[in-house]
Amino acid sequence: MKKTDGSHDNMTDHLSELHLQLQDWLSGYADGELDAQQTLIFEAHLAGCDACRTEIERQQSLSRRLQQVAVNRMPGALHQRLDTMLDEAQHSPAQNAMPRPWLRRLAWARQPAAIGGFIGVTGWALAALLMAVLLLPGTVTSMTPGSIPMMSDVLQEYQNLSRTNLVQQETPPSKTELPARLAGCKLVARWKTRVGGEPAEAFALQRGNHLIIEYRITENVFYRNPNVRQAITDYGDYRIREQQLEVLALPLKGAGLLIVGPAGAMPHRREFIL
Amino acid sequence: MDHARQKQQFQSLTRPWRDRLFSVARRQTRSQEIAEDWTQETLLRAWRDFGQLTDTMAVYAWLLRILNHVVADDSRREARRHRLAPMLMIADDDFLQDHPCAAPGPFEQIMQSRSDEQVIAAIQALPDNFRQVVMLRDIEGLSYQEVGQALSLPGGTVMSRLSRGRRLLAGLLIKTAAAQALATNATGNKEPGHEKN
Ligand SMILES: [Zn+2]
Repeated sequence: MKKTDGSHDNMTDHLSELHLQLQDWLSGYADGELDAQQTLIFEAHLAGCDACRTEIERQQSLSRRLQQVAVNRMPGALHQRLDTMLDEAQHSPAQNAMPRPWLRRLAWARQPAAIGGFIGVTGWALAALLMAVLLLPGTVTSMTPGSIPMMSDVLQEYQNLSRTNLVQQETPPSKTELPARLAGCKLVARWKTRVGGEPAEAFALQRGNHLIIEYRITENVFYRNPNVRQAITDYGDYRIREQQLEVLALPLKGAGLLIVGPAGAMPHRREFIL
Repeated sequence: MDHARQKQQFQSLTRPWRDRLFSVARRQTRSQEIAEDWTQETLLRAWRDFGQLTDTMAVYAWLLRILNHVVADDSRREARRHRLAPMLMIADDDFLQDHPCAAPGPFEQIMQSRSDEQVIAAIQALPDNFRQVVMLRDIEGLSYQEVGQALSLPGGTVMSRLSRGRRLLAGLLIKTAAAQALATNATGNKEPGHEKN
C-alpha cells in the first residue's frame, strides 16, 4: 500500500533495484559506518540520486537533534529502592562457567632477559637504565585476545617506561599520598595515564634497585573481568605473573589498585598499607 | 562466598548507568511506575546473571540487553502500545515513500523546532524494532556494535533498522510539524497545540 503524496511523478524512477537496496545503508553512510567498498558503491549512486542525498542530510540532521534530547534522571526514591532491593537479594550471582586461570600466563611476555648487574647500583637514573637492559626492547609485541585489557595496559606501560628516562616524568611533591604505602620505598615519579580505556594515576616507586609502579584505576575498569571479580571475592586479590613481571590487583575504596613490579621482587600483599 | 564484596563490585559497575537505564525505560512507556519497575527488574536480573558479564561486552550494552528482555516479557507491553499514539500507525512500506514536502521550512529547522517531548512522542510511535535501534543509537549514543549487542542483532540489521527507523521518524516529525503549523494558522494560536499525539 502506497500513499500518494503527489508531486512525486518521478518516484518510480528512483525506485530502482539499487536505490531500494541502498535504503538499508542510509544510516551507515550518514554515520560513516560503511566499509570502503560499500562507500564507493553508495557514493556512485548518490551522485545521481537526489532522493538519497536528501535522505542522508535528513538522517544526519535528525541524528543531531536526537543527540540533544535530555536524559531522564532517576527519582531519588528509586535509587533507594534499588539499593534496598540489592541489599536484600539473597542469592549470589550464578557462578561463572568460565575456567579461572589463577596465575594467568601472558603469552606475549616472552623469554626473560638475563638478570644480573643489579646489585649495588644507586641513583634512579641508573636503576632505570638497568631496567631497560633487563627488559629488552621487543619483548612486548601484541596482546593475546584473551588477556585482560587493564593488565596488558599496565604491563606495557611498565615496560615502555623502564626503557625511557623516568626522570622526565613529573616530579612528585614530597607529601604525595600513595594509593598503598609501602615501607622502604621512595616515590620518584607520578603521572596521569589511561588504563582499560579510563583515566588512571601512576606512582613509580623505587625500592632498592627495583621499579614498582602503583596504578590507581577506576572501579569500572577494575571489576570488568569476571575472573578478577571472582578472585577478589574469594581471596581479596588477583595476580598475574610471568617470569619477569607480576601484577597484583587489590581493591581500594571506590577504586582499584594495580601494582606492577619484577616478579622476584614484588612485596607481599600484606606489605602494602591500603 | 563473600556476597558483600560481589555486591559492592556489582554496584560499582552498574550504579553509574542507572540514570541512563531508567531513561531508556522511561522512553518506552508513558508510565513512570512501569519504567521504575522495569529498571528494578533489570538490575535484579543483572545481579543474578552478574557472572555472565565479560570483558567483551560494555556494561551499558549488557544492561540494555537485559532491559530489552524485561520489556519484552512484560505483559503490560501490549497495553502500552495501544496507549501510544494510535493516530500514528505506520504502514510497513512507509519507509519507501518520500517525505511529505508540505513541511514548513527546511528539515534542519523543523528538527530544531521540535521539543524533546514531541521528539520522544514520535519515537514512541515507531514500531518496536525501529524504536529501539533509533533510541539506543541516536539518543543513548551506542555504537552500531553495542546496539547489536544490546538487542542481539547482527550489524547489518542494526544498520537497516536504523536507516528505516530514522526515515519513519523524520516523516512523523514533519507530519506533526505540518499539522502544528496548520493549527497555528487556523487559530492564530502561537502555543504548541496537542498535535503531538
Ligand atoms: Zn537513491
